[in-house]
Amino acid sequence: MNFKHKYFFLFPGLFVLIGILIFPIIFVVRLSLSGWNSYNPGLDYIGLENYIRLFTDDPRFWESFFRLSFLSVTTVILQYVIGFALAHMVWKDIKFKRFFRVLFLVPMMTTPVIMTVIWRTFFHESLGPVNDMLSIFGVAPKWLTDPVIAKFTVIIVEVWQWTPFMFLLLLAGLLSLPKEPFLAAAIDGASPVRKFIYVTFPLMAPISIGAIIIRLIEASKIMDTVYVLTSGGPGTSTETSSFYIFIKGLREFQMGYAASMSFTYLIIMIISLTIIAKVLTKVLLKE
Amino acid sequence: MDLVANNLSYKPDDQYHLNEVSFNFKEGNLYTILGRTLSGKTTLLKTIAGLVTPDSGEIEFDGKNFLKVPVWERNVAMVYQQFINYPHLNVFENIAFPLKQRKIDQSIINEKVMDALKSVGLVGFENRKIQELSGGQQQRVSLARSLVKNAKILLLDEPLVNLDYKLREQLREEFKNLFSKGLADETILIYSTTDPRETMELNGEVIVLDEGKVLQVGPAKEIFENPNSLKVAEISNDPPMNIIEAKISDNQIRFEGIDVEAPQHLSKLTEDGLKIGLRSSDIELNENGHEFEVELAEISGSETLLHLKRGDTKIIVSIEEVLNFKIHDKVKINFKINRAYAFHADGKLASSPFGGLNG
Repeated sequence: MNFKHKYFFLFPGLFVLIGILIFPIIFVVRLSLSGWNSYNPGLDYIGLENYIRLFTDDPRFWESFFRLSFLSVTTVILQYVIGFALAHMVWKDIKFKRFFRVLFLVPMMTTPVIMTVIWRTFFHESLGPVNDMLSIFGVAPKWLTDPVIAKFTVIIVEVWQWTPFMFLLLLAGLLSLPKEPFLAAAIDGASPVRKFIYVTFPLMAPISIGAIIIRLIEASKIMDTVYVLTSGGPGTSTETSSFYIFIKGLREFQMGYAASMSFTYLIIMIISLTIIAKVLTKVLLKE
Repeated sequence: MDLVANNLSYKPDDQYHLNEVSFNFKEGNLYTILGRTLSGKTTLLKTIAGLVTPDSGEIEFDGKNFLKVPVWERNVAMVYQQFINYPHLNVFENIAFPLKQRKIDQSIINEKVMDALKSVGLVGFENRKIQELSGGQQQRVSLARSLVKNAKILLLDEPLVNLDYKLREQLREEFKNLFSKGLADETILIYSTTDPRETMELNGEVIVLDEGKVLQVGPAKEIFENPNSLKVAEISNDPPMNIIEAKISDNQIRFEGIDVEAPQHLSKLTEDGLKIGLRSSDIELNENGHEFEVELAEISGSETLLHLKRGDTKIIVSIEEVLNFKIHDKVKINFKINRAYAFHADGKLASSPFGGLNG
């Protein structure tokens, strides 16, 4: 066989890979070693100065990182629990099954930014319908301006927006399960609750791991919700890593420094997601 | 503790899966449900297990209304024709599953599982994954799982049908050993099958089921010797019994220009529309016999099945030898006519060589 033309056929894929993945990463690494900012644009070389600043003199980055960890882990856990419950519900033979299956997917079909604007209106402290209703009980939480409550507002909106995705993955998983073990389990004396714990859940473990990892990757990029809902406020209490990097890079135009943060963030995410995937596999699959 | 059913009916679509089925199963006995595919065997077993709720009728077990007891509290065990196990558990965990559903001490569980493994011959496999086992081994795991819980009712739904010939023989032997080992002392064993040979070998009480209806109940020998209708004769013989439309007059059975002297038990039947039933094994090749044409010759195992034709009459002959025939070959056969059955035009048994009715 003649392989003379193989580079010709490899080229399109290779071009895309180099153009949109490898080059940007290398460029970001180079950029992070420069002092590129609005006064001094250009790829000069300042060594590890940006990294030294990041690790010794920028608690705001690390705070935003831990806030991000908290937000993404909490939202994904909630999405998983709620998504699993909904999927399990419409997996069984219930009335209007098809209607519910479509209904639960509606939030995913909406535009996140626009939905967040609507949520912001909902949660408006003096004009929003939420506080209007809560006024019956005589309470008016500061949904968007209390440092603690604002975090939970972000969580509520994120969970609402992305639970359908989890629901979809888990429902597909449930529908692909073999029916036989469930017949066997009932006859073997497992009540519905035990059937869930000992059969449904373990059989769903591989799909669950996949769904959780996909959602964790997605959730760690959380940005649009925060941007529209609170703009990171009050203060920096809902600021996440990506939002902070965005501020440093595209608002204050400290490109070099933002690049070093991006690269550090990328490394941390790769390491932590790998560890999470390994741990989940060990716990859920017992392997 | 008896399992009694009264007029069970189940009709999920326009066809009866169960049609007024009644029975009275006593503990310590083996019952075989014999029927063709789609005759309602699986539905009946599922109804007993609680996986199917009948439209009407009652089931009582130990004097209590069984239909009100949820599946997981019924204490039944079931082996399916597909090998059903838990794919996420290993062999040991699979067998231990029913025990883990009750609060039983781990050491007792270990002991019982090892016993069950021993009785199905799978010692040493306890840490294997289910997918790594062969079909026969998987079926033995599910058998062990059904044995381990000491269920009062053990349901076996065509457990051998998806296995290859050799394994089937081997497992059937193991079943017989298990059943005779006193396992069945306080258990009601219900075994469903399409295979008449299996029914005869297990030698229990037989319920013949067709289109959801019970056609005949009786010991295996009785079903074999005196099938009460044409349908039962067809279902309880493999290959199905040959049915020949014939006339009896002057002590002669006449069909297709053949005259055979009627044996004593058939000689008094002179009505119209009589059907003579003869098992394929009760016809033999004979140089001086009657000439038939070969339509098809199939070799199954060590026997040859000859599909023969003469005029409008078609019969199947089984010969315990491997023989080669070509289509349209002429063969000569003889009827062991004293083993013939006679059925009325409506399909009811008229006379059998074993003394049924007029015989």
